[in-house]
Amino acid sequence: MAKRHRMPALLLCLFPLILCAQSKSGFSVSGTIKDKKTGETLTGATIGFVAHPGLGVVTNAYGFYSITIPEGIYTMVVSFSGYATDTTELDLKKNTVLNRSLGATNSQLEQVVVTSSRKTNNILKTPPGLQRLSVEDIKDVPVLLGEKDVLKTIQLLPGIKSAGDGSSGFYVRGGNSDQNLILLDEATVYNASHLLGFFSVFNSDAIKDVSVYKGGMPASYGGRLASVEDIKMKDGNDQKLSGSGGIGVIATRINLEGPVVKDKGSFMVSARRTYVDAFTGLVSDSTIKHSTLYFYDVNLKANYKFGAKDRVFLSGYFGNDVMHIAYNGGVDWGNSTGTLRWNHIFNNKLFSNTSLIYSNYNYNAQFTSNFNDIRVTSAITDYQLKQDFNYYLNPRNKFDIGFDVIYHITQPGQATAGPSSKYNSLTLEKKYALENAVYVSHEWSPTTKLRFTYGLRLTALSVLAKTYFNPEPRFAASYQLNDMSSIKLAYDRNVQNIHLLNNSTSASPTNVYLPTSNIVQPEIADQVSAGYYRNFHDRQYEFSSEVYYKTMQNQIDYKDNANLIGNNNIEADLLFGKGRAYGWENYLHKKTGRLTGWISYTLSKAERQINGINNGSWYAATQDQTHNISVVGIYKYNRKWTFSAAWVYNTGNAVTWPSGKFPVDGVPVYYYTSRNGYRLPAYHRLDLGATLQLKKTARFQSDLNFSLYNAYGQSNPYTIQFQRDPKNPLQTQVLQTSLFKMIPAVTYNFKF
Amino acid sequence: MKRHLFIPIALFFFIACTKTITPNLNTASTQLIIQGAVSDTAGPYYVSLVNSVGFYAGNTYPGLSGAAITITDSTTGLRDTLTETATTGTYVTHSITQGIPGHTYLLNVSLGGKTYTASSTMPQPVALDSLTFDTRDTTQIFPMANYQDPPGIVNNYKYGMVINGVVDKRFLTFEDRLSDGRYIRDKVDADTGEIKRNYTVKLCLVGIDQNVDTYLREAAGIAYNNGSLAAPATPTSNINGGCLGYFSAQTVSCKTRVVELK
Repeated sequence: MAKRHRMPALLLCLFPLILCAQSKSGFSVSGTIKDKKTGETLTGATIGFVAHPGLGVVTNAYGFYSITIPEGIYTMVVSFSGYATDTTELDLKKNTVLNRSLGATNSQLEQVVVTSSRKTNNILKTPPGLQRLSVEDIKDVPVLLGEKDVLKTIQLLPGIKSAGDGSSGFYVRGGNSDQNLILLDEATVYNASHLLGFFSVFNSDAIKDVSVYKGGMPASYGGRLASVEDIKMKDGNDQKLSGSGGIGVIATRINLEGPVVKDKGSFMVSARRTYVDAFTGLVSDSTIKHSTLYFYDVNLKANYKFGAKDRVFLSGYFGNDVMHIAYNGGVDWGNSTGTLRWNHIFNNKLFSNTSLIYSNYNYNAQFTSNFNDIRVTSAITDYQLKQDFNYYLNPRNKFDIGFDVIYHITQPGQATAGPSSKYNSLTLEKKYALENAVYVSHEWSPTTKLRFTYGLRLTALSVLAKTYFNPEPRFAASYQLNDMSSIKLAYDRNVQNIHLLNNSTSASPTNVYLPTSNIVQPEIADQVSAGYYRNFHDRQYEFSSEVYYKTMQNQIDYKDNANLIGNNNIEADLLFGKGRAYGWENYLHKKTGRLTGWISYTLSKAERQINGINNGSWYAATQDQTHNISVVGIYKYNRKWTFSAAWVYNTGNAVTWPSGKFPVDGVPVYYYTSRNGYRLPAYHRLDLGATLQLKKTARFQSDLNFSLYNAYGQSNPYTIQFQRDPKNPLQTQVLQTSLFKMIPAVTYNFKF
Repeated sequence: MKRHLFIPIALFFFIACTKTITPNLNTASTQLIIQGAVSDTAGPYYVSLVNSVGFYAGNTYPGLSGAAITITDSTTGLRDTLTETATTGTYVTHSITQGIPGHTYLLNVSLGGKTYTASSTMPQPVALDSLTFDTRDTTQIFPMANYQDPPGIVNNYKYGMVINGVVDKRFLTFEDRLSDGRYIRDKVDADTGEIKRNYTVKLCLVGIDQNVDTYLREAAGIAYNNGSLAAPATPTSNINGGCLGYFSAQTVSCKTRVVELK
């Protein structure tokens, strides 16, 4: 218990500000907020007190809250989007533990809920740049082949741009796709894509929610420049055994969860596998007949409460893609992650989480072509220890403090050749790096309307006896103008020490990860953002408008015609420079009623300046999409039918195209004048969906989900190739390959 | 590799479709392209001078007359002054009748008041051991070049093919960066059409120096794979003075064989 006294003392030393914010002594009320039916903890639920508009707190990632307030009689109101508001009378005379469970709303009740929760506006209270989505929020949004996908759906939000058809890569506020920190139960997921990017690795049955930070990252996150996607798996229903699943065009899913001991512990098992390969045997083409193509993933989680103060979670993810093409070889790749977590409530004010995390990504490629067998493997493995403390001093002061230690082992490539192969076996040097971070963050509300969150993260990357120190200051402020609107401001610096190299434009599993070195310096981004947030019509509508400006240092690009394959001195093919990005994001979300959905519009610019490219002048980054629009609508027609539609439009990516041609050995070869000097045509697409609710009883319900991807058959480019016209060797042509024109799908989903 | 993976995925879903498009492309200022070679097989040898054209123009490139061109064997000091042939822009050698491995050859081109120079050293010859065919999939027969890469030295190769007497317009390079000292069995792609039973195929293994290999390898990436390159760019020429093209002192070893199915 010595620790209990040391912690606040330490914080006092660090934060002189706390002294002027000291409040009268009081009692704390703390507890956990859960879903009544499943026992899942609720992250981001708001706790408020009637007649005390200035008092309030939000639950942390484990559903825990704590607030210290003067003795008295209160009416505590707990609210969370999609749930009926919970009201409790509270006579506070001593430190009190108050755990609450919220029941889900149904549409008839929604109007009532809206009125009663008016005072707890989440859009006004959330940190700037944060957007949280639950699986419930995305279940009706139409998607490719009916596979619900959180990572695809967040690309419909402002400031998050899709890397295009056939890619689960995405760009946040002008960053590259490797600058997003994708976490699954705190473990880094290095390659979040299945099947060359057509699907993400996150099986929606196993996912509880995702929090996306585009800016104003809390100091507890770090390691990537552009964004954080913090994805949490479900804990598992601790009330009763339940399950869900689905049979779709491409995959079958099954999820089972239930209590180990009711109210004390639960488990969740979820699996998904595709079966396109079941049909390949039927195809007459011999190459396809002898090919293999599938992916699977498994999510496992269990948790148990040891008494009122301790809870332990164990979660794991395993996924693999296998793709073997007759006569050519193939690739397989996969991620595995594991997280062991221990939540401990030291006392009413101090919450702690300790995590041991493992993450691995590897790929194997085999090339077999008559004698020339070669197997290429590459991997990155992380071992991580993470400690977070949340200290709720009083309603005006909250502290987060913690540290993070990651040991990275990267194997950039190892080639094993068969005896008759034309290649030699080759092992590129393994690289080891130790990434340490400590952080402190203080959330301070000097008045009921004003709140500051500021902190510092200090990172140190040690590689080859050299250590790179970087301080990362973070600052966010929000000011509530009135009941309906607020303004927010944020500044944050992020540092990235693990760099992804990939010399193919499309999502490819053959990624090379490099830690910071003498040549590849830590990437640094500084971002300033500001926003205005408003609710309309009794919170039926939420509106936000944000602007941001970001500068980036030590950005990586490739030399002209760079070769990254089997290259032991890969750094020599890289170029370094600066980046800048700025934009204006607008978002209008209708949250309740028969028609729900949102409109998002982003106007932005993303540029790079790199010595050795375009004579060192600023040029458009690939993902520089000037205009970006998404419109999502979900309409509950009646008890049986729900219809949905999503339309997206964006300016085409910047691309490098030729400005002439010349012969080499009689073959036309193309003449390029600048990097990213051209534009793809604008991308747009409409997806439609419909859900038919089938038999619904208390014990079992099922639905049929119909979807039509790219409903009007727009041919958006996947690749564009400049080539000699195969029919007329005296001419050249531009050949566009498109994917996914009017792809229908039907999925049967069930729940019990 | 990517292309191979992509095809079956597309077929599985019956989803890929292609069409030709005509995006607006600028036409950069005209570039001079110089291309010439000296080899260890008997001459004469040719140097061609042409101009680049816009992307949507035909694949014919205007030849350039009036250039003063010399090729010098810097090892022996023998200088050959080329003369223009009946084909505009094509120039021919006279005194250098057969190149010698290990010798360094210098190209000097003067045109319109500008001078372009290049140097290339002929590597030691590597013999094509045999020509075989990969007939596992009879709808796609591939010629295989079989040869021993000499260990301990850097070797760069180019393949050339003649199918039924017609020069196949495709170039493909191979470097021993990851294959030093191996016995090479390399699949060679033909340009267009299929190779069928009873076709006569002549395959040549051309030994080139490293700078020529850089130019040709980058050019092959641009010519055949520009749609999936992260950073496509004009290939790096081994000729100085501000032009494109290459000058190569090279060795040539060929085999001819008729395609038979077992």
